[in-house]
Amino acid sequence: MSSTDQNSQANDLSTSPQAPVDADTSVDNSAESKDTTHFGYKTIEKDDKISMVAGVFHSVAKQYDVMNDLMSFGIHRLWKRFTIDASGVRPGNKVLDLAGGTGDLTAKFSQLVGREGKVVLADINSSMLNVGRDKLRDKGLVQNIEYVQANAEYLPFEENTFDIVTIAFGLRNVTDKDKALRSIYSVLKPGGRLLVLEFSKPEHELLNKAYDFYSFNILPKMGELVAKDGESYQYLAESIRMHPDQETLKAMMENAGFEQTTFKNLTGGVVALHKGYKF
Amino acid sequence: MQTSNNQALTQLNTQASTQVSDSLLLPQVATATIELIINKALALNNNKLVSFSAINQKTLTLKLAELSFPLSFTVNSTASATGIIVRTHVESSDCTINTSIKTLKKLKAKQSLTLLIKQDELDVNGDIKLAQQFANIAQSLAIDWQSELARHLGDVPTHKLLHFGNKITKSVSAAGKKIEADIGEYLVHEKRLVVTTSQIASFNQQTKDIASQVDSLSERIDKLFSDIAEK
Ligand SMILES: C[S@@+](CC[C@H](N)C(=O)[O-])C[C@H]1O[C@@H](n2cnc3c(N)ncnc32)[C@H](O)[C@@H]1O
Repeated sequence: MSSTDQNSQANDLSTSPQAPVDADTSVDNSAESKDTTHFGYKTIEKDDKISMVAGVFHSVAKQYDVMNDLMSFGIHRLWKRFTIDASGVRPGNKVLDLAGGTGDLTAKFSQLVGREGKVVLADINSSMLNVGRDKLRDKGLVQNIEYVQANAEYLPFEENTFDIVTIAFGLRNVTDKDKALRSIYSVLKPGGRLLVLEFSKPEHELLNKAYDFYSFNILPKMGELVAKDGESYQYLAESIRMHPDQETLKAMMENAGFEQTTFKNLTGGVVALHKGYKF
Repeated sequence: MQTSNNQALTQLNTQASTQVSDSLLLPQVATATIELIINKALALNNNKLVSFSAINQKTLTLKLAELSFPLSFTVNSTASATGIIVRTHVESSDCTINTSIKTLKKLKAKQSLTLLIKQDELDVNGDIKLAQQFANIAQSLAIDWQSELARHLGDVPTHKLLHFGNKITKSVSAAGKKIEADIGEYLVHEKRLVVTTSQIASFNQQTKDIASQVDSLSERIDKLFSDIAEK
């Protein structure tokens, strides 16, 4: 396990992936091919996606928390609370907060697993990890958190390590989602569960339209005004639309081996929480 | 038959309102607000309080008659600070209390826990000592919930959502209650315990009515979201 806690200058995996991206076909999108994938609405070479996504998150890292509150009217905090409530976390648990970014979920988990437990905040992007580490330290959360720079597709942990893995608003940025799901499955303990919190497909057409308008007209402008980075927020909006819908993601989880897979729509399906177990 | 219709309807109705409140995350609005209030009070009172170390990482769950979801309180005490995390629907709790807000008020007025248990106003499962320790903390914090809740719910950006959510939940349950009452009426007026064809027809009609009410509710939810999105 390569902790960057002591070594903040750890390799930047976001520009040099640990292993070559392989050519597994993905179930979620017909436009995916052997060598290309989506970057928002653009079709790009798979090898380029990692560095392009990295570019987005290096550029938004500092303003990430402020923008999150602004863009979602603060509701992302409630979605995350719902995730914690559904996690069944208890003292002593080992939790992996994957694509954990600035560490909102990690902060809560750290308080709930206690001294006997452990939370690993893993992210591919060093800027996001640094912002996260500073924030959690400021909150006095130090004793049971470890920071690991890692790609979700190649998790650097032993099999059967974690009781809970969460990936919140992260899966849609991953190049090979099926591979990431299999990698997560392997590091979960038998009986452990995965929670995927991600934008999804609104249940009602009207809401869908309103949401589209918001994402493509308002969101990038807000990004431009507040974070001086309209392009990154345009990417975020596009990547949300390209992400598999509720049923597709559920099927992908089942393909990766997860059982008792369910999802719950939040805020009319703007966001969904998928849950699956490894037995 | 009628009773079971009634039960089925009540169940449907509770399910519908739980679904609406879940989708709007009302339990999470509540736990976030309560957590904020408690931790503010804790920060102000920290020095006066009993030691938390004995109940560190322990969870107490409150099931209140007035609330459709449970509230769980977990203590997290470190060298630097003590906080309480509030959640709903936890899977393991060291102590669970079934009671009502009315009874909790008595507890605040320094009536003893054991007395309330004896009077059947409070039902405790699990570690009763933990319940006592939480009760002591609650008493020493002396939070004025009514004014605190009003103040904070005015602040949070989710205030609107909560407000509309409550309205929607209420109208779903009002629709359900009306049907229950109507079915009750048939029983009284027609003095018949068997279900007649006309009752079945009318039950079917009412089921259709409630379906269309649910449709119009979901339209209102759509509108609510588009309103919010436009703002
Ligand atoms: C929108 S942020 C979400 C952060 C946090 N989980 C939250 O909910 O606030 C997405 C995060 O996913 C990370 N990410 C993108 N691709 C990844 C990958 N292949 N493996 C691990 N993390 C990745 C990004 O660096 C970024 O920090």
